[in-house]
Amino acid sequence: MLVAGMAMAARMATTSAAQPPAPSQLDVQAVYLFDFAKFVRWPEGAEHGTLTICVAGQKAYADSLTRLVKGEQIDSRPLAVRVVQTAADVTGCDILFVGISAKEQEAAMLAATAGKPVLTVSDIPGFLDSGGMIQFVVIDQRVRFSVDLRSTMHSGIGLSSELLKVAVKVNGASGGTS
Amino acid sequence: MTFHPKQSLSARLTRMNLLVSGVVLLLAGLAFFSYDLVSFRHTLIRNIGAEAQIVGENSISALLFDDQETATTTLKSLEQSPDVKGAILSDAEGRAFAKYGQLGSDDVATHSLGAKENHRVWFSGTQVIVAHRIVFQGKTVGIVTILAQLTEIGQRARQYLLIAGMILLLCMAAAVMISATSRRLIAEPISKLADTALLVSRDKDYSVRAKIPVDGSEIGVLVDAFNTMLTQIQERDAALSEAQAELEGRVEERTAKLRAANRELEAFSYTVAHDLRGPLDAITGIAFLLAKTSEGVGDPAVHGMLEQLTASTVNMSMLIDDLLNFARASTTPVKSVPVNLSKIVREIAADLKMSDPERRVEFSIIDAPEVPADPGLMRIVLDNLLRNSWKYSSHHDEACIEFGAKREGEKIVYFVHDDGAGFDPAHAEKLFEPFERLHGKSEFPGTGIGLATVQRILARQGGAIWAEGAVEKGATFYFTLG
Repeated sequence: MLVAGMAMAARMATTSAAQPPAPSQLDVQAVYLFDFAKFVRWPEGAEHGTLTICVAGQKAYADSLTRLVKGEQIDSRPLAVRVVQTAADVTGCDILFVGISAKEQEAAMLAATAGKPVLTVSDIPGFLDSGGMIQFVVIDQRVRFSVDLRSTMHSGIGLSSELLKVAVKVNGASGGTS
Repeated sequence: MTFHPKQSLSARLTRMNLLVSGVVLLLAGLAFFSYDLVSFRHTLIRNIGAEAQIVGENSISALLFDDQETATTTLKSLEQSPDVKGAILSDAEGRAFAKYGQLGSDDVATHSLGAKENHRVWFSGTQVIVAHRIVFQGKTVGIVTILAQLTEIGQRARQYLLIAGMILLLCMAAAVMISATSRRLIAEPISKLADTALLVSRDKDYSVRAKIPVDGSEIGVLVDAFNTMLTQIQERDAALSEAQAELEGRVEERTAKLRAANRELEAFSYTVAHDLRGPLDAITGIAFLLAKTSEGVGDPAVHGMLEQLTASTVNMSMLIDDLLNFARASTTPVKSVPVNLSKIVREIAADLKMSDPERRVEFSIIDAPEVPADPGLMRIVLDNLLRNSWKYSSHHDEACIEFGAKREGEKIVYFVHDDGAGFDPAHAEKLFEPFERLHGKSEFPGTGIGLATVQRILARQGGAIWAEGAVEKGATFYFTLG
């Protein structure tokens, strides 16, 4: 955690010149969320325009993410961060993060995005079993993540093998996990 | 004998072939090797660069998601590359993130990329370090640094040496084979030509011919030209010796004719002189008696004429004597006995003094050692010379006649000197020609045969005569014997 945390702090510093917040697991998750976008292949029709990252639950998370993506582009797409409260708000999201504080919204939101090209990410335990795509886990005090390919394939989202390579666990892969 | 030069042509040709092929091979080998080395190194470096790039690409997610394990695994894939000895993956801030092999952090520190550099290669000997910036979505996510040892290059050089050595051996074999051919085609005809030339120059035998090689090369032309030259020399030789023989024959013929004519002439003049003597003696005697008996009787004019007749007959008698001497000088066999020239001179001097006791002439005669010569002929020589001196000094009241000798080199030069009328040195050559006289007959009586006789006698004894003098300054006659 220490090394990763320090690295994270440095990356935060380079990307946003504002105040250097103490590196927390949330900050790391925010950076990862932003980086996930770089490894995602959106289906046809959804790969244009502003790439919207929606955050449900944690306001601080949304703030730190907003700072991070400011002025950034991924595959020539500008980035935007939006805070969502209910499942009804998720329309137009490309990436949806459901924080553990919004656990009660989990099922509704997953239902709302099911089959749609929205990358769902959460740190709620059992998120993958509930139908989510990427779930953060903490191993040895380091933030890692697991992936469920069945839901991504169902939604038409492609994940780069580079991402799968560093995942702790990949569910639904024909060749097993890495 | 055949000509064996120190370095035969064929040996030289072989050596030249070997040298040329060796040098060519060496240069070509060097060129190939250096080109190969350069391109090989280039390829290796490019490969390592590509590997750095691949490793970098494969490490993006590991770097982004802080997965050192995956990064290390990715770096480990460099094992497949035998030249790569080590690698380090650094994050965007330059901190070491994953390591493989023998590359230390110090190496990374001394081989870091500049702010705007994406790729760089460092050389030191066979060691190469490549640094590659990993860029993802327009951002630097890390730097991969790879250390490679180009060990294969040395191995390659050894292989090259081996191959070059083998080719060199093959080339040498080829050169030897080629030189065998060239010996047959070039060296042998030339050495045969040289042998023939030697034979010709040594034996002067122009009938030999060199064998013309059949290949029609310049050597054939050379040999043919040489043979033609020999033929020409032979022809010229024949023509020359023919001309020479003809000339010699002609000369011999002429000489024989000339000799015969000469002999006939001499025999004739001798006969004439000899046969004239008898009647002349009779005439002289009768004239003398007539002059004596007519003295004081009858017409004094008749007596005068008789006196003149007597004088003329005496003159004629002298001329005949001289002619006979001249003839004898050419025909009598020459004897060679010790002769005392000084004794002969003294006898002649006494005769001369007695002939005209009135004259005041001083003789100076050295005692010359005896010398091998013909005494009779030498008496004629000295008589002529002394009588000349006596005669040509007769216009002076007092005269001095000297007989002497001096050594000049190996020879003894004798001389007869007088202080008489002398002669014009411009005409010195004419002195010894028969019937040539430098003074008028009225001035000094004489036949003009004396000095010619002297020269002929001395020449027959292997000697020579020459004269020095000036008008009214006297004359000196020098002569040598054998």
